[in-house]
Amino acid sequence: MFGGGIILVGYVCKYTPVEIIEAFGETPVKLEPDSKSYEQAEALIHSNICSFAKGILENIIDNHIEEVVLTSCCDSIKRLYDVLKERVKFIYLLDLPRKKDPMAVDLFYGEIKEFIDAYKAYIKRDFSKEILAKILENKAIKGKRMDSESIAILGARLKEDVVEKIKNSCAEKIINLTCTGEERIFDVKPEGDILKNYAESLLNLTPCMRMADDRNDLVNKKFKGIIYNTIKFCDYYAYEYAELKDKVDIPLLKIETDYTDSGSGQILTRVDAFLESTGIKKIEKTKAKSGYFAGIDSGSTSANVVIIDENKNIISYSIVPTGPKAVESARQAFELALKSAGLKEEDIKAAVATGYGRVSIPFAQKTVTEITCHGKGAFFIDSTVRTVIDIGGQDSKVIRLDDSGNVVDFVMNDKCSAGTGRFLEVMARTLGVSIEEMGKVVEKVKEDITITSMCTVFAESEVISLIAQNKDQRDIIHALNKAVASKAVSLVERIKGKGKYMMTGGVAKNKGVVTAIEKRLGEKILIPPEPQIIGALGAALIALEGK
Amino acid sequence: MDAVKSYSKFIKKNMERPEKVKKLINLGLFIAYHYVKFFRDKRLPESFHFLNKYSIKCVIDSLNQPQNSAWVNIFAPSEFLIAMDIKPLFIEAYSSFMSGFFIEDCLIDAAESKGISNTLCSYHKTFLGASELGILEKPRFMITTSIACDANIPTFRYLSKKFGVPLCIIDVPYKYSKEAVSYVKKQLQELAAKLEEAFKRKLDLDKLREIVKTENKTRALMREYLNYVGKKTLQTTMTFEMYMLFASHVFIGSKETLKFYEMLVSDIKKAPEKSGKSVFFVHILPMFETNFKQYFNFGEKYHIAGSDINFDFLHEIDENDPFLGIAERLILTSLNGGIDRRVSRIRELLEYIKPDGIIQFCHLGCKQSMGGAFVIKKLASEMGIPFLCLDGDCVDKRNNQEGQNRTRLEAFLEML
Repeated sequence: MFGGGIILVGYVCKYTPVEIIEAFGETPVKLEPDSKSYEQAEALIHSNICSFAKGILENIIDNHIEEVVLTSCCDSIKRLYDVLKERVKFIYLLDLPRKKDPMAVDLFYGEIKEFIDAYKAYIKRDFSKEILAKILENKAIKGKRMDSESIAILGARLKEDVVEKIKNSCAEKIINLTCTGEERIFDVKPEGDILKNYAESLLNLTPCMRMADDRNDLVNKKFKGIIYNTIKFCDYYAYEYAELKDKVDIPLLKIETDYTDSGSGQILTRVDAFLESTGIKKIEKTKAKSGYFAGIDSGSTSANVVIIDENKNIISYSIVPTGPKAVESARQAFELALKSAGLKEEDIKAAVATGYGRVSIPFAQKTVTEITCHGKGAFFIDSTVRTVIDIGGQDSKVIRLDDSGNVVDFVMNDKCSAGTGRFLEVMARTLGVSIEEMGKVVEKVKEDITITSMCTVFAESEVISLIAQNKDQRDIIHALNKAVASKAVSLVERIKGKGKYMMTGGVAKNKGVVTAIEKRLGEKILIPPEPQIIGALGAALIALEGK
Repeated sequence: MDAVKSYSKFIKKNMERPEKVKKLINLGLFIAYHYVKFFRDKRLPESFHFLNKYSIKCVIDSLNQPQNSAWVNIFAPSEFLIAMDIKPLFIEAYSSFMSGFFIEDCLIDAAESKGISNTLCSYHKTFLGASELGILEKPRFMITTSIACDANIPTFRYLSKKFGVPLCIIDVPYKYSKEAVSYVKKQLQELAAKLEEAFKRKLDLDKLREIVKTENKTRALMREYLNYVGKKTLQTTMTFEMYMLFASHVFIGSKETLKFYEMLVSDIKKAPEKSGKSVFFVHILPMFETNFKQYFNFGEKYHIAGSDINFDFLHEIDENDPFLGIAERLILTSLNGGIDRRVSRIRELLEYIKPDGIIQFCHLGCKQSMGGAFVIKKLASEMGIPFLCLDGDCVDKRNNQEGQNRTRLEAFLEML
């Protein structure tokens, strides 16, 4: 029960007979986890099950939800039921068939009838088929269901507020076709047993990935673009993404969410970059003006500013470590660059901000994602570059460019510091050496060690064991550099990157990592003279040309 | 060991030449089979030596005859395949062998770089990776059930589409009812028809009945074996406990499986009285994890006292109507349905075996099993048996924190 005194019946799966609950006069509510942590959930269930199931558990405890209706939709939800069984007043698990033939319909029909009996006994109220009929009449199919002019969000469920943010971030029509995004509209036959017909129409909803039917009808639809969502630890939808990736010729972006709030900024960056790179979102082209142009890259580790003139000459640049307030660091970097160029703020005709902090830079007129900016900057430095590997403090990304320097594909690491600058910083601290020292190790000394853990935390304990085994420090460093390289190369492989390669970001200054990546790719990597400013350079170029 | 590592390095070097890798894998299996045949480990009971050879041969047979083979998962009703002389390849076994050959990392990376989820079970990822790299010859048919694992249906559907091979999905309801049995029975009848069509041969119903009879005899021996597990100490290893999955699942009903259990019962009767401490495993065993191998393989102080996955169904099934009997078995396996069903089976086994400790190794990616860990821990504490829950991976060795596991495992063993 939430604060207001209305009894809410929580559910998670779209195949839940929501309309039956409504016919009882109760209020079904689709549970949407909004917890910041899984502290209570992880005390009751293993931490490696799906983050959505953990979020639901946390949510049910936090909000004292007393009635929950689940289906046997996936392994995590089945175990959630087992855990909740003795903790809420009413809980029911409907066995959901994976097929929709007449026998499957009969089975599900039986399940729905048993559910009605159980709920009737619990709330001591009768169920009326007439009320159900009315509810279903209001949810009958009306008009067109899909729009080929839209961008579809497909895959696993996505938090409503993220969907809203995506909708607000562009002018395009976005339709939510994720597993629970679909509108509840039915085509229930009027003749015969309404309950049986209802069971049949539920089983005939667009199949989710756990069903036996394939989803060709859905995925073969023509959309303008597809944003494909998967949830951490929910493995169902990645299969479909793997298939679609090579099959569809429409722009496709993969995002991964985990139902905590912390990821939505990163998701919006990706969506923005996706819309920019596919040309769905146009970046306004402005006429080149004389004067100076600035690009401000407000990153997690440093704020970088580049000032160029109308002829694209770099006049000055600055790199300032990001302090507790991103705007102040960006302002500081901006002033530093102005000072070394001998310019005043009013000399800057246009400024573009990029990086994580881009939306909060008051002295920039426009924001563009760091993906587009890195692509732009790298291609400007060398127009033979086709793949940019950017490893920054807290994220790494690989961007593929076409022959004209446009971004055609990109991939970022997922909310994990493995393979980033931060990973190396943590390890440097563990080893008691400076980050510069680490960069100098390019070859093994005695032994070729491999760090097997990709997770920063586990890799740290692996390093500690290697220290305990008295391994040569340089060999451990070499192994760590290889680990970062391997993560970067797997990103390159994911988007089928090809030469020439350019590496940008702070880690590009680490010779050890660069050499290890070169070995894996079998090709030399271009390192610009100052790899940290490429994003800002790209932003400055966009400020100048508008593209 | 070094020979295996060099072999693994050589395979990895040739990963871009799938035809060569196929040959190397077949060669590796051929050598493994002959090595086991001629250099028997003297510590090993007769029955496990037999099972060892049989299991490797089953994998070799299916890989060598792809057009007479079907890819299945461990819970597939392979009685039909045995009756029709079709060679099943169960993906969990193939992936274990690839991990034994130290090439699972390469295969997993191939699957992940294709876009397959990195948190998916590594048994599935390894197999998917092998298919991505083209080192698996396509079979004639595929069968999967929905039992116990979410990954079964999407993995097989992905493979079926990729290779253009027909797939039969058996949807096994979570709850038992007469209607549920009819639903599965009908699907099994459809399976038989599809197999007849794909392999262009008839299913002999009498032969299927014979296989079910053998299966019943085999389960009677399993029950007999359980009477001795708590009292005797049979020398075994993590690997052999896992090899038993060939006998308790995919190849149950075969004459060889019956023979194995006959030998096993005779071996355990002859085995010395229990000494040292025995540990019962929930779910699967980490057969490549160094610490576990060190403590449990032919261990003098610590012994493996079985795993619930090898005893997930112990009843007799209908011999006259095998479709009905197999349908009931599929629904009633303790790995299907709510955790209560599994808990009661584990309780029953613990009462038979009376182990000194219980370990649940939570294989990364296996949500149904790890999701129930806390419930099983509660059972252990009610029964007063020490319980250890460890996280890791039974296939992808990179996911095992051996240093951390060592401390936990040793502390637990000290507790016993």
